[in-house]
Amino acid sequence: MSPARVTDTHVVVPPSLRGTVVVSFDGGYVWSFTVPRDGRVTFGRGGVSRRVEWPAMLLTRLSGTTQVRLEHGATTLYDAPVSFRGESAPLELLDRHGHPLAVDGAGHLTRVFSETTDDTRRQVAEGAGRVLADLRDLGYDAHLSYGCLLGAVRDGRMIGHDSDADLAYLSSHTTPADVIRESYQMERALRRRGWRVIRMSGADLKVLLRLDDGRVVHVDVFGAFHVGETFYQLGGRSGRLPREALTPAGTVRLEGVELSAPAHPEAVLAFLYGEAWRTPDPAFQNHDAPEGLRRLDGWLRGVRTDMVAWNELYRDRRHEVPRGPSSFAQWTDALLPDGAGIAELGSGTGRDAAWFARSGRPVRAYDFSGAAVRQTRRRLGADGVDSSSAAALALNDRRSVLVTGAELARSDLPMNLYARGLVGCLDDEALDHLCLLASMVLRRGTSLFLEFPATGTAVPAEPAALHRRMDPDQVAAAITARGGTIDRLEIGAGLDFLDRPDPRVARIVAHWTTLEHR
Amino acid sequence: MNDSHRIRRVLAWPVRLPRRIRELEAAVDENRQLNRRIAELTDIVAELLVPATQRDEERLAELLERYRKDSLAP
Repeated sequence: MSPARVTDTHVVVPPSLRGTVVVSFDGGYVWSFTVPRDGRVTFGRGGVSRRVEWPAMLLTRLSGTTQVRLEHGATTLYDAPVSFRGESAPLELLDRHGHPLAVDGAGHLTRVFSETTDDTRRQVAEGAGRVLADLRDLGYDAHLSYGCLLGAVRDGRMIGHDSDADLAYLSSHTTPADVIRESYQMERALRRRGWRVIRMSGADLKVLLRLDDGRVVHVDVFGAFHVGETFYQLGGRSGRLPREALTPAGTVRLEGVELSAPAHPEAVLAFLYGEAWRTPDPAFQNHDAPEGLRRLDGWLRGVRTDMVAWNELYRDRRHEVPRGPSSFAQWTDALLPDGAGIAELGSGTGRDAAWFARSGRPVRAYDFSGAAVRQTRRRLGADGVDSSSAAALALNDRRSVLVTGAELARSDLPMNLYARGLVGCLDDEALDHLCLLASMVLRRGTSLFLEFPATGTAVPAEPAALHRRMDPDQVAAAITARGGTIDRLEIGAGLDFLDRPDPRVARIVAHWTTLEHR
Repeated sequence: MNDSHRIRRVLAWPVRLPRRIRELEAAVDENRQLNRRIAELTDIVAELLVPATQRDEERLAELLERYRKDSLAP
C-alpha cells in the first residue's frame, strides 16, 4: 500500500483509507477532505493509491515551504516539510490583516473560526445575536442555524472549520413568490437599521459584520418555508420537517452568548446534517436532494449568475483592461451632438464613462458587479463626477430595470444608452429587459448604441471570458420586438473586451419613437 | 389508426420518452421562474406605483431614490 505523499497539485493517501483527513501547515488547520468521496484511485509505479487534488482556491496560494501534516483521527499519515513549486521561502497563508487562512466548508479560502481568538469568536456570536435580535424585533421568526447551531448544541463553541455565522427564519408564506417578496422587505428593513446587506438569491441575504480587527464576516440569513408537505431551507435543503420543530423559538448559548434557536434543535440538526450530526466531521458535505435543488433554483435564483466571476475579474484582473477610451466610445462620441448625455450600461472599470465625462458629457453608469460599480465611481470621482452617477443594474431583475428606466426617463437631460460588450453577457430575459429599459428611456429623441462580438463562420468561439458571440439579427429582433427601430447595423473587424483584435464585431444604433408621435 | 401504426407508436415511445421528459422539465422550470417575476413586479407596484397614484412628484422622486438605496444597492 502506498504511503501518504504531498505534491504541488495533489495529496496522495492509501486507497483503503476511509473517513476525514485533516491537513495542517506549520500546525495550523488549512483544509480537510473525506475519502473515498473527494479522491480518485490511481495506479502508478508505487502501486495503487488515492489522489486528492488541492482545492482550486488553495492551489493558487501554494508557493513556498511549510511543515505539512495529514491526520486521520489519531493517526498521523504524513508530517514533513514541503517546498511547493520549489520555493524555499516560508509559505504564508495569510489575509491582508496577517490572519491565517483556511479552506472553509464552501471551498472558499477564508479565515476560519479555529484560527481566531476567543474574543473574536465572541464578537461574531454577539454580532449574529444583534442581527437575530433585529430580525425578531422586525417580526421575522429567526433563529441560529447550520454550523452555528451545530456548534452551540454540541459544545457551545463555533465549529473550527466554519467561517461565517448562519441564521435562518421560518416564513409563514407557502408560495415562493410571497417568500421572495418578504425577503425584499427584510432587506430594506435591515438596511434601514444600518446593516450592510448583500442579496444572494430570492430568499437569502448576507449581512456584513465588521469585527474589531478589521475583518468582515458574513452573517448568512437563510429563508426557510413549507410548500405543501415539503420543507425547504436555503442553501439547498429540502425534505420533511414540521413547523413545530422550528417554532416557537427557544434559546442556546454560543461562545457564551444566548441566542434564539429552533424549538427542537436536535430535530433541525438531524434534518440539516443527518442522524450522525453529533459526530464532528470537518469535511462534511451535504448532498442536497436534486429535486429540491431544482425547485429552489427555479423559484429563487437567476439574478446573480456570473456575478462572482465578474467581481473577481474586476477585483483581480482589472489591470488587463485598457485605461483609455475604447474605439466604440470614440465612434459613438462622433455621432452625438456636443453635450448630449450618455448612460453606460455595463460600465466595467469605467474607462468609457470617465472618458465621456472628461469630454464634457453628462454621464450615468451602471453595472451589475459591485466591484465594477465601485471602480467606475472611483474613476468618475477622479474626474469630479458625483459618485452617485454610478449605480447597480441587474438586467435579470425587473425591479432594477424598471427603477433604472424611471430614473433615466425622468432625468432633466435626455440620455442616450451606450453598452459595449454587454449583450454578449446576457441571456434572453436580460436582453429583453435591456430593450424594455431602452423603450422607457429613449422617448426624447435619444438613441441606443450597442457593440458586441458577433456570430459568424471562422470566428473564435469565445472572444473573451464571460462573453459569448451574439447573432446581430437576434439582437435586432429583440430591439424591434420592444418597439425600437434599427438605424445602423454594421459588422466588421474590431476589438474585443480587452482591446484585442476580433474579426467580427457588430455595432447597432437604434431609436424609439417619441411617445407624443405614437 | 391501423394496427401497424399503433405498434410503431408504442415501439417509438421509449425512444421519445427522454426527450419528452426534458421538454416537460423545461416547461416546469419556466413556470417556477414566474415566482420571481411576480415578486419583482408586486414589489415595484406596492413600493412605487401605488404611491405614484398620489401624483406627488416630490414624493415620487424621494421614493425612487429610497428604493434604489434600500433595495438595489450593489
